[in-house]
Amino acid sequence: MAHGNDRSGFYRVKLILVGIIFVLGVYPWLAPPVYFISFAFNVLTYITLATSWNIIGGYTGYLSFGHVAFFGIGAYATAVLGARLDLGPALVILASLPAGVVSALVAVVIGYPCLRLRGPYFAVITLCFAFVTELTVRNLDFLGGADGLWIKGLAMPIETSRSIFFELMLVLTVVCLSSAHWIETSRFGAGLRAIREDEEVAQTMAINTPKLKIMAFAVSAFFPGVAGGIYACYLTYIHPDIVFDVNISILIVLMALFGGGASWVGPLVGATLLTFVNEGLSTFVKAEFARIIYGCLFIIVIIFMPNGIVEFLKNLIVKRRLRTKFVKNKSSQLLS
Amino acid sequence: MLKGIGVEKRFGGLTAVTSLDFEIFDGEIVGMIGPNGSGKTTLFNLISGLFKLDKGAIDFQGFRISGLPPYKVAKLGIGRTFQIVRPLMELSLLENVTTAVLYGSSGLHEVDVARDMAMNILKFTGLDSKFRNFPGELGIEGRKRLEIARALGSKPKILLLDEVFAGMNSKEIEGAIELTFRIRDEYRITVFMIEHVMKAIMTACDRVIALRHGVKIADGPPEQVANDPEVIRAYLGESYAKN
Repeated sequence: MAHGNDRSGFYRVKLILVGIIFVLGVYPWLAPPVYFISFAFNVLTYITLATSWNIIGGYTGYLSFGHVAFFGIGAYATAVLGARLDLGPALVILASLPAGVVSALVAVVIGYPCLRLRGPYFAVITLCFAFVTELTVRNLDFLGGADGLWIKGLAMPIETSRSIFFELMLVLTVVCLSSAHWIETSRFGAGLRAIREDEEVAQTMAINTPKLKIMAFAVSAFFPGVAGGIYACYLTYIHPDIVFDVNISILIVLMALFGGGASWVGPLVGATLLTFVNEGLSTFVKAEFARIIYGCLFIIVIIFMPNGIVEFLKNLIVKRRLRTKFVKNKSSQLLS
Repeated sequence: MLKGIGVEKRFGGLTAVTSLDFEIFDGEIVGMIGPNGSGKTTLFNLISGLFKLDKGAIDFQGFRISGLPPYKVAKLGIGRTFQIVRPLMELSLLENVTTAVLYGSSGLHEVDVARDMAMNILKFTGLDSKFRNFPGELGIEGRKRLEIARALGSKPKILLLDEVFAGMNSKEIEGAIELTFRIRDEYRITVFMIEHVMKAIMTACDRVIALRHGVKIADGPPEQVANDPEVIRAYLGESYAKN
């Protein structure tokens, strides 16, 4: 009986999700102000980044604090590919796919030595990796150095071009979320969770932990790479300060943990909420105050909802349900 | 089946295992006893690949396994439990065992099929009614059974049990002894176990190996080893070993 309920609930959720995606897809063509399209584009970018971070950070338990590097590498790889091959504006966008592959390859190379480290050591070394990447790009002339790089923009009104980029990012977000969901329910995901819980035990369970970790790291670097490519085309100009901004790295981690790292829903909710909060604060309050409020908010969540806001709400609902059941049983006992 | 030749392991100045030879034959239940610090768990860690040997070699079914990483050793069919139980705390019992099945030598890669097999193993170890529970909700006996269930999930040919009986009451010990026999007879798995509970050693084991300071001091049927003067000296001291 419970099984049947699960199933119909599952289909309902699926239907709702498809509905949301459809509404989002139609939204930019309803001629909203450009600002709203850009904002929605940002939300989607952060959802993609947080979700892909969660594959290595949440499922596997390796907190990467340098994920912005993969975003930046994707952006630069796209720009360079576009310039070298002299691609037209539409083809440059496609270059973000190979750029994602470049990011994933970098992750394999970096992950091989770094994934031997655990906990804070891994966090620090990934942070360093991001800094080193940024400095390298800043000092290489063929990457534009400190001047940044220009990318050919689409020759059309800004509303239309932004709408197109929004649609592209929407596709990437949906693919990214589906991949995360697939990983969660697959053999691969089961192995990653075992690594998160106890890596030595995972090894005695015949799990090839080095290989799995590198695969997870590569997947979680691929999507930021593609996102970086789309972002670069969207901005038409990239600079180390923008696409290697360390704040992005930290924000991604906060978003995923805020929502909860155990499932794909966490980063989705966390990234959406925090982008709204961020935008609201920076519009209505001074930037300094905004940061303070932001920090406090995060402290509160970590202390009172250590498993993220999604788990917290879920437990709340379960508890309420149990309580009503208990009260019902009690009252029926009293009556009889 | 499992054979060690001149196995040696040093930690700095301390030699935990000294040129140890041993052999476990197919279908046996072999016990390993010895006072604290005699190198029993170290030997298990050497077999399962968590420690690297300093000297000697370990063969499994004629295949050199010393030097292989733990996951390869496990894949070849050597399962183990940990003395201090190490369940995957945030996974349910079913998920714990399913993960083991998915990566073990059964070759099942379909999550649904693996889950059914995991359910059978939970039933075998008497945990099926709690499959949705988390390890933190089990008592010590339950957790030890979970360790065994997870090890069985990988479908091993030999199972290394590290003090499974410690911390159980006598009724639970009887249940666990029965489980040990069933592991060998129904799953056809050879068992090599470290144990302090003599009742378990005497009833379950075909053969007992005794260690002291990393050196093998006795190897034979349980009654013979239990009465061996060398073993008594190791446990109780010189004065008790005279008669």
